[in-house]
Amino acid sequence: MRGSSMVDQSAAATGMTAPVIPRPRIARLVNLPVWIWLVVIVLLPNALLIGCSLMRISNGFIAFDPSLVNYQRLWGSSGFWTLLGRTLKLSLVASGIAALVAYPLAFFVGRIVRRNKALIVTLVLVPLWISLLMRVFAWRLILGQSGLLNSFLVSSGVLDRPSEAFLYTSASVILVFTYIAIPYIFIATLNAFEKLPQSLLEASEDSGASSLQTFLHVVWPLTRRSLAIGVSLAFLITVGDFVTPSMIGGIDGTTIGVLISSQFGMANNWPYGAAVAIVLMLCCGAIVGLVMAACPQRGVLLGDEGARPASGAPSARGRWLKIGGMTGVFAVILFLYAPIALMAFFSFNDSKMQLFPLAGLSLRWYFDLVHNDGLIVAAQRSLIVAFFVITFSTIVGTAFALLLHYGRVSGARFCEFAIALPIAMPGVVLGIVMVLGTEMLRIPSGLVRTVVGQSSFVLPVTMMLVLARLRRLDPSLLEASLDLGADKLRSFLFVLLPLIRGAVASGALLGLTLSADDVMVTLFLAGPSQTLPIWVFNQMRFGFTPTVNAVFTLLAVACLLIVVAASRIGGRLGRPVAQNDA
Amino acid sequence: MSLTDQPLLALDGIDKTYEGGKKPALDRVSFQVAKGEFFSILGPSGSGKTTLLRMIAGFETPDRGRVVMDGEPITHVPPFKRDVRTVFQSYALFPHLTVQGNVEYPLRMARARHPERAAKAMEALALVDMADYAERLPHQLSGGQRQRVALARAIVCRPRVLLLDEPLGALDLRLRQQMQHTLVSLQKELGIAFVYVTHDQGEALSMSNRVAVMREGRIAQLGTPEELYFEPASEFVAQFVGRSNLIPLTFQSGDDGPVAVIGGSRFPRLTSRKSGPARLALRFEAIRVAPASDGEGDLAGVVEDVLFLGTNLEVNVRCEGLNLIASVPAARTNELSRGQPVNVTMDLSNARVFHG
Repeated sequence: MRGSSMVDQSAAATGMTAPVIPRPRIARLVNLPVWIWLVVIVLLPNALLIGCSLMRISNGFIAFDPSLVNYQRLWGSSGFWTLLGRTLKLSLVASGIAALVAYPLAFFVGRIVRRNKALIVTLVLVPLWISLLMRVFAWRLILGQSGLLNSFLVSSGVLDRPSEAFLYTSASVILVFTYIAIPYIFIATLNAFEKLPQSLLEASEDSGASSLQTFLHVVWPLTRRSLAIGVSLAFLITVGDFVTPSMIGGIDGTTIGVLISSQFGMANNWPYGAAVAIVLMLCCGAIVGLVMAACPQRGVLLGDEGARPASGAPSARGRWLKIGGMTGVFAVILFLYAPIALMAFFSFNDSKMQLFPLAGLSLRWYFDLVHNDGLIVAAQRSLIVAFFVITFSTIVGTAFALLLHYGRVSGARFCEFAIALPIAMPGVVLGIVMVLGTEMLRIPSGLVRTVVGQSSFVLPVTMMLVLARLRRLDPSLLEASLDLGADKLRSFLFVLLPLIRGAVASGALLGLTLSADDVMVTLFLAGPSQTLPIWVFNQMRFGFTPTVNAVFTLLAVACLLIVVAASRIGGRLGRPVAQNDA
Repeated sequence: MSLTDQPLLALDGIDKTYEGGKKPALDRVSFQVAKGEFFSILGPSGSGKTTLLRMIAGFETPDRGRVVMDGEPITHVPPFKRDVRTVFQSYALFPHLTVQGNVEYPLRMARARHPERAAKAMEALALVDMADYAERLPHQLSGGQRQRVALARAIVCRPRVLLLDEPLGALDLRLRQQMQHTLVSLQKELGIAFVYVTHDQGEALSMSNRVAVMREGRIAQLGTPEELYFEPASEFVAQFVGRSNLIPLTFQSGDDGPVAVIGGSRFPRLTSRKSGPARLALRFEAIRVAPASDGEGDLAGVVEDVLFLGTNLEVNVRCEGLNLIASVPAARTNELSRGQPVNVTMDLSNARVFHG
């Protein structure tokens, strides 16, 4: 596959530059890899999921006996409906709250902030790159029975004894989901606010509209679709998250993701789990559809509306707006970083108890890491998996992007949408879909299965990033190169490649963090060969050791280094995520 | 300023320096616009003309000076409370609203009732011949059509002043000429004062009652198109308005005072009170070119090249170390060709001399 990708790329260039000459039959075959990927990685496993949901379990084995028995069981189970309702409610409420925070924030950063804008944007987005597991764990540290909040309240006399009210409730799940959702909604809407031409706002003001009227009649209609995309993204990510509820939620916070994962784990009833997953997917589709319908998009920004930067008329109202906005920005950044900072802080604590005041500074947890063989092996495995995933995804993803953009693939839009589907699937559903797919292809569980499973969502990200870059390129650049006597291969090497290099590199780095952090999908695929996050997840389930703090602190530092590298290489960090569904 | 006693709009000593800018964008600019006047602001890019317009619209506030409308200072009145509308250079049509929705927008903001809104919008669209496109969205229109919708949106409330920021810049030549006629007749019909910003001297001269020529944040000259054309106050204006040769010359003392010397020849017809070096601004059409065989002229030269422009020709003549460009009617000058010796005659009646 990797060997043939260079051929694909030059063939992609051919497709663009030979509009008149009928292409040789062989050229039509360049579409083949795209279709193979589509069928093997996306369509087949999803078809298997549907098929599996129609099966029945007997004596612990799947019996080939098509029926709707699983759905009948679901229909009659009031427990299931309660669980489904709660799952959707938790995610929707959290996405809604996050939208209320992130939308004004994006407005402020996108339209009003001038100085330090890049820094603020990076700060809000960095949590996306930091392990989900770590962020959830950090909240546990704060909310738990022997956590910081309790110890603070007890020592300050508000409570007599530690309360269990904070952890293991719906509210705590909503809090953490909101925490996860804010950066996604922020990046989706920031882009819309930045693109909004200043002249439209001026034209509205010129027409006699007050600020509120301008917002209602111009700003809102032109940004609501981006908000809907951000909210949908946050909703899909939280609804498929079974890690947070299982660690934070307790009984009241259990969600359907936990149910599905248990059917594919302990309960070992795949057909039932598949049916639950399908019902969940249908509900998610309906909700995303409703959100999109509630925020319709009309008209097309033509780019000639003008984009003069905001005039810096320092009015008294503007000053107050700025002060208020900056306060909001600091509050959000504090909210995003406080848990992570606390965790890093406690990794140097010379005690097993996570309480203030610190028992003393020490590096003992870090030294413990070095002698922990399980951890070292898991970390090595993570690196190996990440290496193969990003090498494969970057090369093939770039080739696919070139094919879809230049290769005149029939149904290119459909291909793009279908290949990107795994990104939009709730994590737990993608996990079981990949289990079914790899099981069918007789790929044994372990490293290979993990690599295939992770590529299913890393490759689309790389592809979308490169595609977005290609679409922004001036098409006449490639024509100019050909016109100036460079053949297709050299045009690709000297013109196209340098122009898309940034997108390819940031795709690879994003893929690295996606792969290295993944729990949701990998948990189903890894089997005995655990990657680092799976190892940590298991450690946490069996009980707390402060070593986890040290692991996460090191991971966070690594993530920060990657983010810095990515921003050096170029391109806005968050763009990739915003474009997933765009 | 003959139409009424009190000007409709007055700018009084406006200064503006942008944050971080070294030079002022506007430097002590003052002028007045009368009711129903077509007033143009002409200047090269960066001369401050758009800043001036944005100040009238209310998008910028001056560092010093004031903007007065009908005797009332409006310097710090926000844009949405001014009876001024702008046709944006980029049109700034709302992409999510139909043509009619765009035109109705200011009426909606003024809380007009629905039937009245629709009627007024259709009337404004009819004025610019766009009534048939009311249901379209902006991206479904051509550039010229978008331009007309932007115009309809700006005039639908009948503001007292309409500001136009290079509205024809993005149109092709034929459309531009067509729109010039539309604008002039619309302005007559509505009686609204137009303040028109452009860098195209042709547009400014053909449509305006008066023109202010801007240079580096200052008004270089303010006058009627005829005054600007025939009596430019500076070399800059002479070159920017119409097309002029700038001919270096010296005034040497003679019997009746200093007399002009161009190249090596004396021009007794051209005198000055001051002697020394100077430059003569001479319109292309004030130079006549005839073949050397047709007899005497002011200067002898050789044709370097000829540009055919349709109604006339531009002939570049090299004489006495100078290049002179003459604009001559096309029909009569078939006889001129490259390398031909010619005689050049200068019509000095509208020539301007600049010393220094």
